[in-house]
Amino acid sequence: MDEFQEILQDFLVESFELVEKLDEDLVELESNPEDLELLNGIFRVAHTVKGASSFLNFDVLTHLTHHMENVLNKARHGELLITPDVMDVILESIDLMKALLETIRDTSSDAGIDVNDCVVKLDKITGGSGEVEAPPAVAEAAATPEPEPVQEESSSEQSSDEEEPDYENMSDEEVEAEIERLLKQRQEEDRKKREAKLAAGEDVPSMPDDEAKKEQTPKSQATPAPAPVQKSTPASKATQQKESPKAAAPAKRAPAAVEQTIRVDVKRLDHLMNLIGELVLAKNRLIKINDDVEERYEGEQFLEELNQVVSIVSLVTTDLQIAVMKTRMLPIGKVFNKFPRMIRDLSRELNKKIELEISGEDTELDKSIVEEIGDPLVHIIRNSCDHGIETPEDRVAVGKPEVGTITLKAYNEGNQIVIQIDDDGKGLNPQMLKDKALEKGLISEKEADSMSDKEAFTLIMRPGFSTAAAVTNVSGRGVGMDVVKTNIEKVNGIIDIESEVGKGSSMKLKIPLTLAIIQALLVGVQEEHYAIPLASVLETVRISKDEIYTVEGRSVMRLRDDVLSLVHIGDIFEVERILDASEHAYVVVLGLGTSKLGLIVDTLVGQEEIVIKSLGDYLKGIDGIAGATIRGDGGVTLIVDVVALMDIAKGVKATALTESTTTTVNEKTKASDYTIMIVDDSKTDRTIMRKALEPLGVTLVEAVDGLEALNTLKQGDHNFDAMLIDIEMPRMDGYTLASEIKKYNKYKNLPLIAVTSRTGKSDRMRGVESGMIEYITKPYSADYLSSVVQRNVKFKSEFL
Amino acid sequence: MSDKLKQIINKQSEQQNRDTLDQSDDIVQLVGFIIGEEEYAVPILAIQEIIKPFSWTRVPQVPPYVLGVFNLRGSVIPLIDLRVKFGLTPKKHNDETRFFVLKQGDEVAGFVIDRLTAAIRIKKENIGPAPETINGDDTAIDGVGKQEDRIITILKVDKLLERDF
Repeated sequence: MDEFQEILQDFLVESFELVEKLDEDLVELESNPEDLELLNGIFRVAHTVKGASSFLNFDVLTHLTHHMENVLNKARHGELLITPDVMDVILESIDLMKALLETIRDTSSDAGIDVNDCVVKLDKITGGSGEVEAPPAVAEAAATPEPEPVQEESSSEQSSDEEEPDYENMSDEEVEAEIERLLKQRQEEDRKKREAKLAAGEDVPSMPDDEAKKEQTPKSQATPAPAPVQKSTPASKATQQKESPKAAAPAKRAPAAVEQTIRVDVKRLDHLMNLIGELVLAKNRLIKINDDVEERYEGEQFLEELNQVVSIVSLVTTDLQIAVMKTRMLPIGKVFNKFPRMIRDLSRELNKKIELEISGEDTELDKSIVEEIGDPLVHIIRNSCDHGIETPEDRVAVGKPEVGTITLKAYNEGNQIVIQIDDDGKGLNPQMLKDKALEKGLISEKEADSMSDKEAFTLIMRPGFSTAAAVTNVSGRGVGMDVVKTNIEKVNGIIDIESEVGKGSSMKLKIPLTLAIIQALLVGVQEEHYAIPLASVLETVRISKDEIYTVEGRSVMRLRDDVLSLVHIGDIFEVERILDASEHAYVVVLGLGTSKLGLIVDTLVGQEEIVIKSLGDYLKGIDGIAGATIRGDGGVTLIVDVVALMDIAKGVKATALTESTTTTVNEKTKASDYTIMIVDDSKTDRTIMRKALEPLGVTLVEAVDGLEALNTLKQGDHNFDAMLIDIEMPRMDGYTLASEIKKYNKYKNLPLIAVTSRTGKSDRMRGVESGMIEYITKPYSADYLSSVVQRNVKFKSEFL
Repeated sequence: MSDKLKQIINKQSEQQNRDTLDQSDDIVQLVGFIIGEEEYAVPILAIQEIIKPFSWTRVPQVPPYVLGVFNLRGSVIPLIDLRVKFGLTPKKHNDETRFFVLKQGDEVAGFVIDRLTAAIRIKKENIGPAPETINGDDTAIDGVGKQEDRIITILKVDKLLERDF
């Protein structure tokens, strides 16, 4: 059973790949009906699927593909001209084939889909020439070739077809003989093929492939029938000369198919990617440690060696990451492939003439992103077909070529992939868009007036917006472009719309290369850090507070010619304001889709490569947070979800830089309510201070250095009324401690008393600068210390 | 020497015998801890590890009992203060504070507890249902274990790991 499953999996993967390519080929075939190379390719697909499905006992699928094969075989031998109507039937059958394959994938059986209608249609095409939907033209084309080659071919074809059921009845020897015979036949054919190719190569160097194939067919039958060859040549020459680059493409593609590849389960690649993620984190950590070590052991011999190792590790990690990322990359052609078919169907449906030009289909994108952008592109292209391109009559009337063109191209631009969809249709009329939006109540009159053309274009992305007068099968429900926006934003992409009335419109989707590991801008607010995906950051600006204006209760600033609305990151993430806000702030200008927002932060920390980790089920769906990452120091930093943040920002009022100072005064009822911290690295000194203050009955807390003191203070277990600080201490000295403490709003008024043996004037000056209010020099008398403390904590005399 | 060895072997086999006896006797193994004044317990198999507290990162827009997330060897794990969740006032972490990392299926979370007590082996028959008044689908209490001198509230791990906001 497992073996069967394995074979089935392989079969499905292969079939889906084949079918995907089939669509593209078929549409090309329609415009180029006599391209034998293409026909052969398509025939082979049907044949392969048929062969495999009969082996796996999928009777329905076998039945369908068998009939497809018949039709294609006829076309291949020039007995049947592929007209749009024949093509419709073939395409229908391919759709059925896809549906069958999907059923097989989901249920492991091909039951439940009725293929009879289609089979009958296919049969009609192969069987009778005139009776079916096939118009007279087909009948003629099918009838014109001399009857002899037709019979010859079909008989040889039939013989090979008929052989199949016979095998079961054959005896062993007969089978052996049959195999022998087939082998010989095959070898013979091959030899002739080679000869023909050689001959053709000499005779007609311009297009060896096609000519060779055409000649080879009659030759292998040993009855040269020049008629069909001659008949087809002028026509195909005409088309091929026009399409020469296209015709050359499949020939070039052929060797690519034999490239050495291994199929790898996507799960393994995902796992590999996760491991790389861990490695990147470890690398970040290593770099940080290296920096620390460098600081501490400056000039030491081993530093250089360490430096080398660290840089090699980081280099290799980066390379490795790129290499693994590349294994996950798929050419965007995988998505583009389905569009020729779609355009074809749409143009027939809408009675328009539309041509699709694709370029850059080799551009590669991460698998997960390729999966996400399929839908948006479908909607954009449908939109272009329906609203963009005019009817042929209209186009001729305004002096444009009858056939409208949609260009789909993909290219790399820095760290991003740009997918550009252009059409030469009627373009977007900003005024009309505004009117429509007003009518539907999506915007207010005031908004409409202040809207630039570019902003007006973005209206088409609003849910519920549609410019189509009537809802058609294709569009007009006002859902499509909304989907585009959501999906593109999901992959952190940006949408850029440009348009000129009468000339056409152009839409650019800018998408990051990968999702798992991203470049991020780290920003600080108070004591917290957040990571913002760099792809969404347009620029950063340093501003002073008076550059921020308040308009209708919202903060805004002027950024060159634009007005940018602002929001403080602290307001969005409910950050407690404990640190004093400085006079200056930084604004991170975020751009997403088409909208912009300025995010006020306290500090910019820097750019870092981060690995996105999910917050897990318990915390998922927190507004504004896309995930978390682990930093070089082992701490966790949250990643900002720019999409959600922009939504939240709409509801945030301007509290940006206003400060609320609420000081709680605790009434002291007894001496032990007073709490004083003693910070000194010497135990003796601490004991002396303790002895001096104990008689007062106050609570005393000790710390052995600045860092410990700061932590004790931050923990907030005690409400300190004063601190006695020694200046010279390990880890963090008294000056630093004092200036750290003074950064906090709530410790503004906490008396800091220096107790030190440093008596120089400059020392005293430094003490004052860092925020100390008293300076006691050692040695001191216990009474003096006590009185200084009493004075500073406003010790109530009744407790004495 | 050999006597001593024998003794040890005997002791070990005795111990083993007792263990198997215990197992056959429907014993539940729990780990007990204190929050506020009460002793609670969770099944020992649900505990991934018990660690000393370290720094975590605050997460916005969550109830006060979710302290944030922390890094457990490369995984980002939510941290929940059981004191706050059980309606007590938050307390500063001290030397006895521990992070309990509980795991069930794919769900992992860290819980802050005041103090560990001990691993507890308790017979199934000594576990009673949760009191009527707090019974229902919503309760996080699995049952009440009775030891000689104390009562232990056994918590439902899946309930603890369930997001309820």
